[in-house]
Amino acid sequence: MAAVTGASAAAPRGRTAGARARRHRRLRVLAFLSPWLIGFTLFFGYPLLATVYFSFTRYDLFNLEYVGLTNYRYLFGDQDARRSMLNTLWLVTLMVPLRVLFGLGAAQLLAHLKRGGGLFRSIFYLPYLVPPVSATVAFVFVLNPGTGPVDHLADLAGIPLPDWFNDPDWSKPGLALLGLWAVGDVMIILLAAVLDVPRQLYEAAEIDGAGPWQRFRHITLPTVSPVLAFAAVTGVIQTLQYFTQAMVAGKVAAGQSDQPGTQLAPGYPGGSTLTFPQYLYDEGFRQFNMGYACVLALLLFAVAMLFTLLLLRQFHSFADGEAS
Amino acid sequence: MRTPTPRRITVALAALGLGLTSACTAGGGGGTGGGPKTDEKQTLQVWHGWSADHEVKGFEDAVDGFRKLHPNITVKVTGNQTDDQITNAIRGGNPPDVVASFTTDNLGQFCQSGAWQELTPRLREDGVDLNMFPKAVQDYTQFKGRRCALPLLADAYGLYYNTALMKGNAPPKTMSELTALAKKLTVRAPDGTIKVAGFMPSVQYYEHTPQHIATSFGVKWLTPAGTANFSKDPAFKAYLKWEKDLLDWYGYDNAKKFMRSMGQEFEASNPFQKGKVAMAVDGEWRTKFIQKEAPALDYGTAPPPVSDDRAAQYGGGFTLGTIMGIPRGSKHAEAAWAFVKYLATDTGSLVTMANALGNVPSTLPALSSPGLKLPAQFGTFLNVFKHPATTTSPSSPNGGDYLVQLQRFVQDEWETGKVKDPDQGLRDLDAKVDKALELAGG
Amino acid sequence: MTGTAARALTRTAARALTRTATAPAGGRPRRGPGGPRGRRALLWVAAHAVAIALSLMFLAPLLFMFLTAVMSDEQTLSGDLWPAHWQWGNFTEVLSGDMARWLGNSLLYAVLGTLFMLLSSVPVAYALARFRFRGRKVAFVLVITTMMLPPQITVVPLYIVWARFELTGTLWPLILPLLFGDAFSIFLLRQFLVTIPRDYADAARVDGCGEFTTMVRVVLPMARPALAAVALFQFFYCWNDYYGPLVYAKPDAWPLAVGIATFRAAHNVEWNLTMAATLLTVLPVIVVFLLAQRVFVQGITLTGVKG
Repeated sequence: MAAVTGASAAAPRGRTAGARARRHRRLRVLAFLSPWLIGFTLFFGYPLLATVYFSFTRYDLFNLEYVGLTNYRYLFGDQDARRSMLNTLWLVTLMVPLRVLFGLGAAQLLAHLKRGGGLFRSIFYLPYLVPPVSATVAFVFVLNPGTGPVDHLADLAGIPLPDWFNDPDWSKPGLALLGLWAVGDVMIILLAAVLDVPRQLYEAAEIDGAGPWQRFRHITLPTVSPVLAFAAVTGVIQTLQYFTQAMVAGKVAAGQSDQPGTQLAPGYPGGSTLTFPQYLYDEGFRQFNMGYACVLALLLFAVAMLFTLLLLRQFHSFADGEAS
Repeated sequence: MRTPTPRRITVALAALGLGLTSACTAGGGGGTGGGPKTDEKQTLQVWHGWSADHEVKGFEDAVDGFRKLHPNITVKVTGNQTDDQITNAIRGGNPPDVVASFTTDNLGQFCQSGAWQELTPRLREDGVDLNMFPKAVQDYTQFKGRRCALPLLADAYGLYYNTALMKGNAPPKTMSELTALAKKLTVRAPDGTIKVAGFMPSVQYYEHTPQHIATSFGVKWLTPAGTANFSKDPAFKAYLKWEKDLLDWYGYDNAKKFMRSMGQEFEASNPFQKGKVAMAVDGEWRTKFIQKEAPALDYGTAPPPVSDDRAAQYGGGFTLGTIMGIPRGSKHAEAAWAFVKYLATDTGSLVTMANALGNVPSTLPALSSPGLKLPAQFGTFLNVFKHPATTTSPSSPNGGDYLVQLQRFVQDEWETGKVKDPDQGLRDLDAKVDKALELAGG
Repeated sequence: MTGTAARALTRTAARALTRTATAPAGGRPRRGPGGPRGRRALLWVAAHAVAIALSLMFLAPLLFMFLTAVMSDEQTLSGDLWPAHWQWGNFTEVLSGDMARWLGNSLLYAVLGTLFMLLSSVPVAYALARFRFRGRKVAFVLVITTMMLPPQITVVPLYIVWARFELTGTLWPLILPLLFGDAFSIFLLRQFLVTIPRDYADAARVDGCGEFTTMVRVVLPMARPALAAVALFQFFYCWNDYYGPLVYAKPDAWPLAVGIATFRAAHNVEWNLTMAATLLTVLPVIVVFLLAQRVFVQGITLTGVKG
């Protein structure tokens, strides 16, 4: 994957300076790169190897014991691990596509607006900027059965609403709703792509008598599809680490149960918001089964790496020549 | 304050730069000793879990006694700390000096892992007579011979009943009496929704956790080997059946709706205080909350009912208490010990706190102190506490994991009807709990 | 992505957010043989109606938050939408508690983190964008990989290391690593820096400037928008970070994000105060956004453009 093309203009002052200059240049590169080289080694390379090592141990930060494959064996048959994987899978397969589609729809709409386009754009984008913790707290309240304003409004209108974050069947849809509300990042990337479609293409199509749907289908979609794919893949990678919203929603909805003296199983209600990273956190930093947490981390690494490679490939097909 | 000194950061950076990153033991040096002597000037960090205003103040008042005795020690108290936060701080190697936890079930984990320091040598050195604590209390502050905590007040559970809503009925003594009365006292709206619940058996009702209610069925929590006992002791099945039968009589959806609309446990909106339930099992502290938040409420207390075959055990109940210890890695262990010893054994301070918090004092001298000024209804809890049939849930090396798992099973799978066969459900639960225990090295 | 394409996309995206779209993507030929005027008007109305409806949905949660924040405690549970009495005191009440300390911690984390990130990431991005050396491509791929992989993968060993230095319980385990480059910022800056024509830097070099001086004096001033964007992103990342502080920080060191999440349980579920506190964390973000919309868009587009 690292085939250097080096196609463009070579450094202009190559030969004359000789070996010393080359060494000087090499040192210069090293000097500029040094923060990252150190950082990569210390904060990525080393811990990754250490994760492999610790996965064969039982370690609670006090006592370290080599236990061979015990942690790996535990993984098979660990219902909580399975449940958390399914929850994360749910989010990946439903929330990600929904966000991309909704983002595309919003972008398409914005592209069509003449009057007030700027204002609408800002409004659509704004929720994305709300800190995730705050957004989640607000959502749990707004949708809170019995007391939340939305629940109240729906009641007045006679529309029955689910219990959202208090119902195991509806908590993940609630999170997806939150994800749709904060669709700004996806939307902006797609808006850029939609606006980048050459106008002549539309005009030509219109002259040929193509309706709005046909224009969208045959002109917009093909042009923006690489960006769509990009948004989808990065969305998957982001969702694999989905933690904050799920954890906060569970905590806030459980409310008073999360007090000193009570021990709450994570993923309220009924483990339905227990995402995989949250389970990893729970095993590592609540149960202090550090070794087992490392097994979970390696699993996450494998899956995330798969999608990262996909992304890098996509990069590649986009990128040739210069730089990347 | 233990803000990290720039020096520590520099050292960390330097070491990181050198790639000195192999780690075997985190969490500072274990062990005791070191640190300043008790009479040196120092600041003591104390964490506890109380959060209501009158509780926080009661604790501070008790601490004031210690401050007078040791003017050289500044005590900084932080309330509302969960066990997660405590464990995290200790494991991370940057703990406070004294911690108090409500979660007695976690003691096994604290003692076995060494997260809380062994106190026996100190107790011996200072000649503290453990017999000043009631037997049950002595038990729940040690694990397999390691005593890593001292008690700081105790809790006992009993039945609260709303006199008006009881309509002249006497408080039930057996579970079948409780069931019959619960049905009789329930008031429903025409559409079946619950307006007043006689007794809400769901584990989602505040203190009606399996830990507190299954005790009435005489359950044995763990096997002698310390493994899960759910499928082996028929009392668990009896509890499950009773729980589900009564819940289904209300209708699960009705019960859920009712519980969603009820107020908050530690606020004036508590449904018992609001007259929305006729009977409820709750801790002795509720007397204090009622005094503060619903002084007009006419209520009585009684020992919790017991299953019909255990009538002889009536009068006993469930107890546990707040435990207090010195984390491994405490920088002021000597002063911390002085503090722990003072709060756990000083009669005056215990009585002050018991009065303020409405808790059961945890030493025999304090229990019989004339200074105890508690509501009339409180007597029940003192009696339950002293009753020979009163039990607690034992500790295990991974804390109260077995209790968390049971609660979760009942709440998510049993009450909802996802699991129909109690035997199979309890067997699965046993397997799950035992495997987790094995993972934790128990 | 080639440099030119990246630039083109950046430009359009910037246009996308900062200016009204100059023309609907569908165009509007003077006298199209297709759609009659009436249908166009209908489409126009429909599009705006949908946009208004969506806007209301996007704004509603924020509005409810605000209205609840100024209610009395009893009213929050009543289902009322409009406050009976406007209790502005809720905000001051919230600020008088732990909020002030959380705010201080958040600022420490965000400000120091951003500074450190800039110091360490700029030279790396510069090197990746402008030097040619063996392994450059590998390095870039590794940057992208670290950027993409979840932080949870390495958290256990890192925690153990930081615990050894007794820095757990504080925010330093989150701040200090930023002295060693941040993959996302490196990536973003590099994407921008490759678009700056080499001639400028070469001219400076001819003038006898060293590489570092060239970077500081010539290239960085031209990269100001990108620098602003990564700084903002980093600031918001730190400001919003929940996972990191949850793992490392003790209650003393909690930033707003962690504090807010526990607020409800700690305050006996007083929704009005919870909402007031939450709103206070949102406000600065909104203000910054309104002031620096353009910077945001350019940054986001840089991330999106690349692939």
